[in-house]
Amino acid sequence: MNRRLLHIILPLATAVLFLVGWHTAVKMSGSDIFPTPYEVLRGLGELARQGLLLKYIVASLFRVSWGFGLAVIVGVPLGLVLGWFRPAYAALNPFIQILRPISPIAWIPVAILWFGVKDTAPVFLIFLASVFPITVSAMAAVQNMQQVYLRAAQNFGLSGFPLFRRVIFPAALPQVITGIRIALGVAWLVVVAAEMIAVNSGLGYLIIDARNAGKRYDLVVAGMVMIGLIGLVLDLLVRRLEKFDEVRWGYGQR
Amino acid sequence: MKFGRTILIVISLWIAVITVLHGALNLRWFDKKAEVGTTKTFGVGFLPVTCHLTCPVTHFINKEMEGRDMFQPMRFSGWPELKEMFIGRSKDMPASFILAPMAIALREQGVKIKIVHLGHRDGSAVVVHKDSGIFQTADLRGKTIAVPGRYANQRLIIFRELKKVGMNFDDVKIVEMPPPDMPAALQSRAVDAITSGEPFMGQAELDGYGRTLWQAKDVWPGFISCVLAVHEDAIRDHRAEIQRLVNGIAASGKWIDQSMAHRMDAAQFVAANYYNQNPRLLSYVLAKPPDRVTYSRLKPLRAEFEEIERLGKEAGILQGTAHFEDYVDDTFAPDPMVVQAPHFEVKK
Repeated sequence: MNRRLLHIILPLATAVLFLVGWHTAVKMSGSDIFPTPYEVLRGLGELARQGLLLKYIVASLFRVSWGFGLAVIVGVPLGLVLGWFRPAYAALNPFIQILRPISPIAWIPVAILWFGVKDTAPVFLIFLASVFPITVSAMAAVQNMQQVYLRAAQNFGLSGFPLFRRVIFPAALPQVITGIRIALGVAWLVVVAAEMIAVNSGLGYLIIDARNAGKRYDLVVAGMVMIGLIGLVLDLLVRRLEKFDEVRWGYGQR
Repeated sequence: MKFGRTILIVISLWIAVITVLHGALNLRWFDKKAEVGTTKTFGVGFLPVTCHLTCPVTHFINKEMEGRDMFQPMRFSGWPELKEMFIGRSKDMPASFILAPMAIALREQGVKIKIVHLGHRDGSAVVVHKDSGIFQTADLRGKTIAVPGRYANQRLIIFRELKKVGMNFDDVKIVEMPPPDMPAALQSRAVDAITSGEPFMGQAELDGYGRTLWQAKDVWPGFISCVLAVHEDAIRDHRAEIQRLVNGIAASGKWIDQSMAHRMDAAQFVAANYYNQNPRLLSYVLAKPPDRVTYSRLKPLRAEFEEIERLGKEAGILQGTAHFEDYVDDTFAPDPMVVQAPHFEVKK
């Protein structure tokens, strides 16, 4: 069997095994609260027919795009600068390390007080969750850069902004992209927490709302399934970034 | 730099597309109808529970009769978020339905709010698992009871009932839990008893694993869980609007209580347009029995609040530093005897 086919069949087989196991477990436990895979699929169908599924997916992607986009715009330059200028690093790094471990859930009250319950509040929470991994990886990328690039560049008389643009940034890029990929995972991960605020759309909201709706745990699990599937697609997309020549040189071959 | 440019173009396009889609699908940017007749209104916070039913009913009746929004009903999923929005963003949400003891506690803590009206009466219960050996309050000894929060009046009603049989909070285990999670917690027997506003108690009964130990109306007649509270700024600057809101709440309460047909209509349009719940659940709790939760007699009365104050102090959630005249402004509330229900029937 060729390798391509194997890469499709193996994950599918895992999925089928998982679904069968899930179904049997629910049936055996006799629970009428936790849904079977079929009930979840029916719940998804119901949401799709009402047009809610598309609306909620768009809302969540919108918030993650903006929150994460802003985090990249702020985090990458900040990380590069901190990695390069020692005094800036000394001044700001402790502060960043203090803010970094605070969960976005802890920021929910602050987000409501500052932004109310419009889209800005979840965007802010997603920004917070993703900006620190991006900053830290960009910072580390510059600090761990091989000195030989720098010496060569200096021998050619490069300094200032050209040095930054032509040597430091390309050298750091592969590690920066890895940081961005991890941060995107985190950004998507906090979408449920971010939408716990009283916005009225989104996949996170779907889960919270289904809990309010009585015995609709099929919709809770449907929200989880959609978040998982979209997370998979996002990861595949960012992995494509790593295929560009500008990035690929930075990875070891296996 | 080809790589950079490609990425930049793709990302910009994506951001533009997803923003326009979100605007079109969720924010109604291109919905012409939404613009017509929309005047800037204030927000009123509520949760999808029957204690707050008069909020959506008032909004719905007013919109159907006058064709515009009297206020913006803002639905929350939990108490903490509602409270934070209410105390932190009083310009956006100057009024909210809120737990009575929580309103008093906030006042004690210096938040300038006043209770102007009640939201409902009764509509709470203590529900135990049908297979449990709990048949009277005394059987709760050593058991775990889920309450919506420390400032919930459901916690005080437990306290009040325990006292009657010579027990107190040391004899039971109280845990705080969001009401939507309670039925599942009872079903899996993670807790022995649950108490919150409807429809979550009715849900446990309807699904067959819950048995009502007692209804609030039977042990504490006229039980108040939630009230309508308003910021003092809004009372000072927007008296007319607050008066309209209170009149609407009082009148729609009368309307709900006017007939079983009205209750069933309310269950339908509130479940579909505001609560996003199964209409069957709301119909059940509004009908069986019909006095499970009531919406007449909603003027705040001194004696009732003084009892809550006293119990709250005894149960350790209130300091006793705020009194009826500090946290209640009953000048808006019309005399329940003269409130008229609006002449409104749902178009079928």
